[in-house]
Amino acid sequence: MKRLPAVAVCLVVLLCAALAPAADEVVVGSITPLSGKLAVYGEGFQQAMLLALDEVNAAEGINGKPMRIHYEDNNSTAKDSVSAIQKLITVNKLPVIFGPAASSNFLAVCPIAQENKTILIGAESAAADITKCGDYVFRLFPSDELQGKGAAELAVSLGYKEVVLTYINNDWGVGLGRVFKDNFVKAGGKIIDEFSHDEGKTDYRTEILRIKKHSPRAAVNLTYIKEGATMLKQSYETGLKTQWLMGSASKSPKLVELAGEAAEGVIGTYPTFSQETPQYKHFKEVWAKKYPEKKVPVFGEYNYDMVHITAKALRASKSYTSQDIRAALIEAAKGYMGVTGDKTFDENGDVGAVYGKWTVKAGIITDYRP
Amino acid sequence: MTNGIIAGAVYALFAVGLTLVYGVFRFINFAHGELIAWGAYLTLAFSALIPFGAAIFPAVALTVLIALTQERYVYAPLRKKTGITLLIASIGLSYFLRNGLRLLWGSDLQSFGFEAARGLVFFGITVSRTQIAMFLAAVIFLGFVWGLLRFTMLGKGLRAAADSLELAEIVGIDMKKIRRAVWIISAVFAASGGILIAIDTNLEPMMGIANLLKAFAAVLLGGAGNVWGALLGGLFIGIAENLGVAFFSPGYKDAISFALIIAILLFKPTGIFAIMKGMR
Amino acid sequence: MDYLYHILVIALIYVIFASSLNLELGYAGLYNFGHVAFFAIGAYTSALLSLAGFSPAASMAIAVLCSAASGALLAVPALRLSGDYFGIATLAFGELARLFALNERWLTKGPMGLPGIPRPLGIEAGISGIPVYFFFTVTITAAVLLILRKTTMSPFGRALKVVREDEFVARAFGKNVFSLKVRAVAMGSLFAGLAGALYAHFVTYISPYDFSLNETILVLLCVVLGGKGTLSGPVLGAFVIILFQELLRFLPIPTDWGRFVSPIQGMIYGAVLVILMLKRPEGIIPEHRT
Repeated sequence: MKRLPAVAVCLVVLLCAALAPAADEVVVGSITPLSGKLAVYGEGFQQAMLLALDEVNAAEGINGKPMRIHYEDNNSTAKDSVSAIQKLITVNKLPVIFGPAASSNFLAVCPIAQENKTILIGAESAAADITKCGDYVFRLFPSDELQGKGAAELAVSLGYKEVVLTYINNDWGVGLGRVFKDNFVKAGGKIIDEFSHDEGKTDYRTEILRIKKHSPRAAVNLTYIKEGATMLKQSYETGLKTQWLMGSASKSPKLVELAGEAAEGVIGTYPTFSQETPQYKHFKEVWAKKYPEKKVPVFGEYNYDMVHITAKALRASKSYTSQDIRAALIEAAKGYMGVTGDKTFDENGDVGAVYGKWTVKAGIITDYRP
Repeated sequence: MTNGIIAGAVYALFAVGLTLVYGVFRFINFAHGELIAWGAYLTLAFSALIPFGAAIFPAVALTVLIALTQERYVYAPLRKKTGITLLIASIGLSYFLRNGLRLLWGSDLQSFGFEAARGLVFFGITVSRTQIAMFLAAVIFLGFVWGLLRFTMLGKGLRAAADSLELAEIVGIDMKKIRRAVWIISAVFAASGGILIAIDTNLEPMMGIANLLKAFAAVLLGGAGNVWGALLGGLFIGIAENLGVAFFSPGYKDAISFALIIAILLFKPTGIFAIMKGMR
Repeated sequence: MDYLYHILVIALIYVIFASSLNLELGYAGLYNFGHVAFFAIGAYTSALLSLAGFSPAASMAIAVLCSAASGALLAVPALRLSGDYFGIATLAFGELARLFALNERWLTKGPMGLPGIPRPLGIEAGISGIPVYFFFTVTITAAVLLILRKTTMSPFGRALKVVREDEFVARAFGKNVFSLKVRAVAMGSLFAGLAGALYAHFVTYISPYDFSLNETILVLLCVVLGGKGTLSGPVLGAFVIILFQELLRFLPIPTDWGRFVSPIQGMIYGAVLVILMLKRPEGIIPEHRT
C-alpha cells in the first residue's frame, strides 16, 4: 500500500519528461473539441489546421525546424478546457495556445492564459466579452458586436418592426442577443418577447408555443445548428408560421439536413469574406487535394488562417517566449490578407468584418438577394 | 395541454414498468432508465440495416435480453444483501450502460431522421403524427397490461407477488416465472417508450436517466407498486410539466418531477393516486 | 512538477469530499445521493462572495457555514424518510440544486459559469500559485481528518454506528436518533462545502456542469471502493480514483480515439461499482467489527 504513491509519482515524472517538447521542434498547443457535443466541428478544425501545418512545414517550417500542434481534448466542456489549458501550461510549457471553440469555453480559459502571459488565439469565438480578455488574447473571428448590428439592420431592412427574440443560454447567445436588442431598439424596433433556450435539448415545444402565442411576423433565433434544426422542425410540426431570422452559428448545410423542409426560407447574417481572392482560391484548391471527399468545414478557413499567421509570427519572433511571440504576432497580422480577409488586430486583439446575409432556398444555403 | 397528455401517456408506460419492478422486487432499479435509452439506440442501429418498422423488434428483444442479464448476474445474486448494496449496484450498472451507449454512439444528439411533417389539426389543436402514434401505442400497451393483470393466471400471480412476496411463494406461485415476466414486461415498455420518445424528439445518452426520474415521480404519486396509480401519476406529470412552464422558465421543466418527488416523500409517501390498494 | 501538485490538490479535495460523504453513508448509514449539492453550495457561495469583493478566505469560511446550514435544513424534513426513499429524495434535491444553478442566471451566470475566481491568502492565481495552494490544501485536509478522527472515536461517532446498524436498539439506549442524524448530515455538508470552496478557488472556474450526477457517482465510488465506515477508506479511494483519472490523460492515445476515453472510463467506474457490490461490498479497507 505504501509503495503505490511512490510508483505513481515515478510514472508521472517519466511521462512528464517524455512530454516536454523536443528541442528541435516548435510546438503550439491547441484545445480542441475532439469529443463531446462539438466533436463534429472539432474534427473539421483539426483538418483545416493540419492543412495549413503541412504547408508551413513544406516551406521549411519555422526557420528550419518543423512546427507541431499538440492537441488536448476538452470534451466540448469549459471544465475540461480549464484542465487542458492548465496541463498545456504547466506540463508542456507552451507559450502559444489555440483556444477552444464555443465562447463559454474560451471565456473560461482566457483569464488563466492572461494570468500566465500565455498567448491565446481563437478562430471561432464570437462573444463580445472576449474583447476584454486581455492583451495576450487574440481572435481571428469577428466579435458579435458587429454581428448584432448586422442582424438588427437585416430585421429593419426587411421591414420588421416587432420581433420575438430567443437565444441560446450561453455566453455567445446571451451576448449576441443583447447586442441585437440594443441595436434593434435604437433603430426603432420593438422586442415583443425575449427568452433564452437551453443547449442540447431534444424538445423545444414549450419555447415554440411561447413564440406562437404572439403570432409574430418574424422571430429572431440566435442558436446553434442542432438546436436550430430541432426548433425549426418542431415549429413546422406545430404549425408556427413566421419569418425566422438566424445568426452565423446556424449557417450550415447540416441545418438543412436535419430540419429538411422546415428550414426553407430562413434568413440570416454571417461574416463574409470574398470567395474571389487568390488566397481563397488557393485554399479551396489545396483543400480539395488533401481532402477530396470532404466539404470545407464551418470555421475551416479561420483555423487555416490562424495557423499561418502564427507560423509567420513564430518565424519573425526573436525567441520562443510569449512576450516576443506576442510582439511578432501583432506585427505579422498588420495588413495580413488571409483567406478570411484582413486580419489586422485592433488594440484589443480583435479583427474587423463585413456582414452578409444568407438564406435557405430549395434546400441549399445561398446568399440572400432580396 | 394535449402535449401534456401525450407526454404523460409515455411517462405512464415507464412508470408502470418501474412500479411492477418495485412491487415485486422491492428495490429501485436505477438501471431501468438505461433500458429506455438502449431500446431507442438499438433501433437506430438496426434501422441502418433493415427498415425502421422491422428494426423495432430486434431492438426491443435485445433490450429485454439486457434486462434479463442484469437480473441473472447482478440482481439475483444480490437479493439477499442489504438494500444499499442493491442500490449502489444498480447505480453502477446504470452508469456502465449509459457510458456503453456513449462509447458506441457518441455523446451527440442523434436522430431517426424522419421528415418533418405538418401536424394534423383537430378542433383547433395541432398534433403531430408521431404524437398520435405515441398516444395510441401507449394506450395499446397499457390496455394489454390491464388485460394481463385482470384476466390471466400470470396477472393474478403478479398481483399476489406485489402484495406480498413471502405469501406468494408460500402459496406456491412460481416466483421464477413471475420475476422473468416482470423484467420482460417492464423492459418492453421501457424500450418502446424510449423508441416513441426518440421518434418524437431525438436520442441522447442522458435520455434514460432523465425519464427515469420522471417515472419515479409518477410511481411515487401513485404509491409504489400500484399500477393504476403509476398510470395516473405519469399522466399527471406530463400535464403538470406542460402547464407549469407557462408560469416559470422552460429550464425548470424537469424540476417539476424532482420537486414532486421531494414533496410526495415528505408529505404523502403512500401516494396521492393510490386508489385501490395494491395492483388491481 | 506543477502538474503533479495539480493532481494532488484535486485528490485531496476529493479526500475531504469523500470523507464527508462517508460520515453520512458509512457511519450514520444515510444514503445521501444529493451530497454533491453541498459541494456546489460551498463552491458557488465562496466564488460569488469573493468575486463580489470579499476576501477569499472570508468567503470560504462563510461558504462552509452556508453548506452546513443548508444540510441541516434539508435534514430536518428529509430524515423522516427511510433508507431508499431518503436516497431518492436527496438525489432529487441534488438535481434541483443543479437546475437552480443552471437557470438563475442573474445569480450564478447559469451555464456560462464563473471564471476568474481569486485565490485565498494572496496565493497567486496563475500556475505559479499551485505549489503554495497544495500546501494550503494539505494543511486543511490534515485538519479535517483529525477532526473526523476525533468525531468518529467519540461517543457521538459510536452512537452513529449503532444507529446505522439498528435504530431501535439505539433508541432503546436512550439516544436521540433524530438529533444524531441531523448532526451527522450537518457535519457532512459542512465538509462537503469546504471541499467545494477549495475546488472553486483552485480551478478558478466553476459552472453547473461541475456538479452533476457524474460527480455524485465519482464520490460514491471513492467511498465505496476505499471502504466505507473507516477513516482511511475514503482517503485511499479518493487517491486511487483521482490518480487513475488524471494519469489516463497521459496515455499516448491517438487523437482519433480520444473520444473513447471518457465513456470507457465511465464504464470502468460503473463496472467497478457492480463488481465491488458482488464480491467485496466492504471495499478495500474493511471496517473492524469490535
